[in-house]
Amino acid sequence: MSNKHLFLPSGFIRTPLQNGLGRYIPQLQRITLKFCKNHGGSRGVRDFIETDLMEFAKTNPGTVVYLKPRRHRYPCMVAEYLNGEREYLSCHEFSRAEIQKWLSYMCTRSGIPVMRFRKYNHTDYPSIQGVWNPFTHQAPEINVAQFPHEILSKPVDNGPTATDQLIEIFKKTQIKDPVKPEH
Amino acid sequence: MAALWKTCHQCLRYGLSHKSFYPSVSAINVISKRNFKPRWVAPTLREIKRRKDVEDDRNGGPKIFHRSTFLEWNYDAEIFAFSNRLGEKFNEATLRTALTHKSYVERETARLSDIGVDSYLQIQNNEELAVAGGALISKFTNGYLRAVFTRVPEELIMAMHDFLTSTSNLEIVGKHIGLGDLMLCSDFPCESETYVKSLKAVVAALAESSGEERARIFVQDLVVTQLYGLDINELWNPADPVGNLTDILKREGKAEPEFRLIKHSGQNSVLAVYYVGVYSDKNFIAEGAGESLEIAKEMAAREALKQLFHTEDSMKALPFGRQLKNIQSKIVQLENQPNLPLSKWISEKVTSAVH
Repeated sequence: MSNKHLFLPSGFIRTPLQNGLGRYIPQLQRITLKFCKNHGGSRGVRDFIETDLMEFAKTNPGTVVYLKPRRHRYPCMVAEYLNGEREYLSCHEFSRAEIQKWLSYMCTRSGIPVMRFRKYNHTDYPSIQGVWNPFTHQAPEINVAQFPHEILSKPVDNGPTATDQLIEIFKKTQIKDPVKPEH
Repeated sequence: MAALWKTCHQCLRYGLSHKSFYPSVSAINVISKRNFKPRWVAPTLREIKRRKDVEDDRNGGPKIFHRSTFLEWNYDAEIFAFSNRLGEKFNEATLRTALTHKSYVERETARLSDIGVDSYLQIQNNEELAVAGGALISKFTNGYLRAVFTRVPEELIMAMHDFLTSTSNLEIVGKHIGLGDLMLCSDFPCESETYVKSLKAVVAALAESSGEERARIFVQDLVVTQLYGLDINELWNPADPVGNLTDILKREGKAEPEFRLIKHSGQNSVLAVYYVGVYSDKNFIAEGAGESLEIAKEMAAREALKQLFHTEDSMKALPFGRQLKNIQSKIVQLENQPNLPLSKWISEKVTSAVH
């Protein structure tokens, strides 16, 4: 059994700087692709750089892309977000398509660390009904009621007594005479 | 030390690439042990961590480096991405000036004179832009607030304006548009004042490059949206709500507010609650609850004021972004036209919001 969930931070869904309320700002500010020019593990990254990188840079002008060749090391990508978070992903033996998928994942994230949501919906808005007090949502009929009242003066949890229950059970056991049809 | 380094390297190599010491066994029931590490690995790593902690303690926290000291750093590309990210067109020279602080210019001049180069640096700093930008942010914020909260007295407008243009709020905005790495300043980690100054200068640079209209939308989208999710009644704390309500009713030619106890429960206990209504000329205005009669009375008066100013708890959500398109001209008009102050406030003189 995995205990990973014990270390997963939990929280509510949120967005940095109310992003999207006024305008949408892509949160990925820069991404660094580190790769080796010779090794097979970096093959996918090299393919991606040769074929798709220009397209990626054109469609995401708000993101700075850095390429960092380094000899005989595993390839990886490091994404840096506007909220100061940094995400590292090892791309060892990733194919070109996989690199594309992970890049689009990094681009569309907000940078807030992955967490378990305590609820799937959340509002920052304060209460619209005000602070609760015992008279909130009280039925208005109580304003004109005369006390002592037949119903309102009784205790709320006034159930049948043991005697009442016994009488009820006794009544149920009685066999009724069939009604004779009249002719 | 060299020996330790060697051990570290071995250790890391083991941690990363070592799979198993044992030859693979073909028996079905044997599950091979993955990530097997020799016994010396954990104590060595622990010792390295201990030494690192001691070093950090001595230096007061781990060492941090400015992003520009990294190998992968291209300031031109960063500037290009900054304007594209925000979706704004900046005049590049103005934007660079907006991001250059006086402290940076001074430090660079000192550095040059230290190495014997006495040349006057042709770098402009953002002092003037920051002053201009501060005035712009203040003006745009006021315009928005006055257009949206038409019935609110100027005191509450000023309270909201002060919150939005406060150092803490502008610092958050500055940080979240990525100014932290782009600012050229001598203080690192940067102070809040530096962030605020840069943000103000960026707004002024935008007004200079793309016109005041774009700068207004920029402020509305990034600064004013920080009002979302706040209880605006908590930003302004009237000292005497009962007195304020009495004055307003008097000015409107109505009778003095009359406070009547409607319901109460749990007196002489810690959970007492009093429910008080406000009436004027036998007409019901508002109701409020509190743990003592005095507090309940004040709460009722506050509720009455909220209803007059249309800032109830259940008020409509504030308009942002595209929703402001139709009232943009009104916002411009109201930038220099204050709302009624509380001392002159009458409900006939104020109009309801149009949004």
